[in-house]
Amino acid sequence: MIKALLSIFQESANSFDGQEKDEEVILLLRRHPFTILLPLSLFGLACLVPIAIGVIFWSYLSAHGWLDLFLLVSGVWFLAFWLAIFYSLTIYTLDTVIITDRRIIDSDQRGLFNRKISELHSHRVQDVSTHTNGLIETILKFGDITVQTAASEKQFIFHQIPKPDRVKDVIMQVARSRDSGVKAVIQGDM
Amino acid sequence: MSTLEIIFNILAALIFLIYWGATFIILYHLTRFGIGVQPKKFAAVFLFGSVVLSGAAIILFMNLDIKPLLLLISR
Repeated sequence: MIKALLSIFQESANSFDGQEKDEEVILLLRRHPFTILLPLSLFGLACLVPIAIGVIFWSYLSAHGWLDLFLLVSGVWFLAFWLAIFYSLTIYTLDTVIITDRRIIDSDQRGLFNRKISELHSHRVQDVSTHTNGLIETILKFGDITVQTAASEKQFIFHQIPKPDRVKDVIMQVARSRDSGVKAVIQGDM
Repeated sequence: MSTLEIIFNILAALIFLIYWGATFIILYHLTRFGIGVQPKKFAAVFLFGSVVLSGAAIILFMNLDIKPLLLLISR
């Protein structure tokens, strides 16, 4: 029972809202973790502020009887930043690109109540290009992927995706297999 | 209990309610719209941390003697 309950933290079918019958998720993509590292570091630094104040002014605060109040304010400060950290992580986690054997779904999460979902059927894919810009993107192997389409929305751009070259190959493979009617076999892990 | 004390307690309760309201919204988004394993892990860690931190905040609030603070404000 407990093992079955804990399995949701280990394995997932990557199913999503609006998934068609027998539709198989080939890739689930998110922005590179490096992109979330900067805001998280800033929040982490802000969390150190009450600790620094406590270390410096501990004797002053206890002498004037402000220690209890200081600890409470610090507690509220940590609560606020805990919320801010997980707000950022939520936006990061929900901002996904799903590549299935039939279509590409780009879920662009801009805020908790602000989301744009675009869908592109694989037979409309015309051209895929990648763009890696700068030292960090080159070293950490992430970049933008642009998908040219035959649809009214001419371009799909997926930002800061890890291993863009590999993803480009997968998208082209899916598009080709859709045209030829042969199921795509994706080799190797992302 | 003085009026200032009541206001202080209501304010603390309000902050607590707002915090748990926001926590619910984030947890709902992670579990309802999250795809894959990662959002579930984040939700579990977030819930655990929220319970621990708000428990600590409640204990600190209970231990707080607000009379000197209220005296300072009312001066």
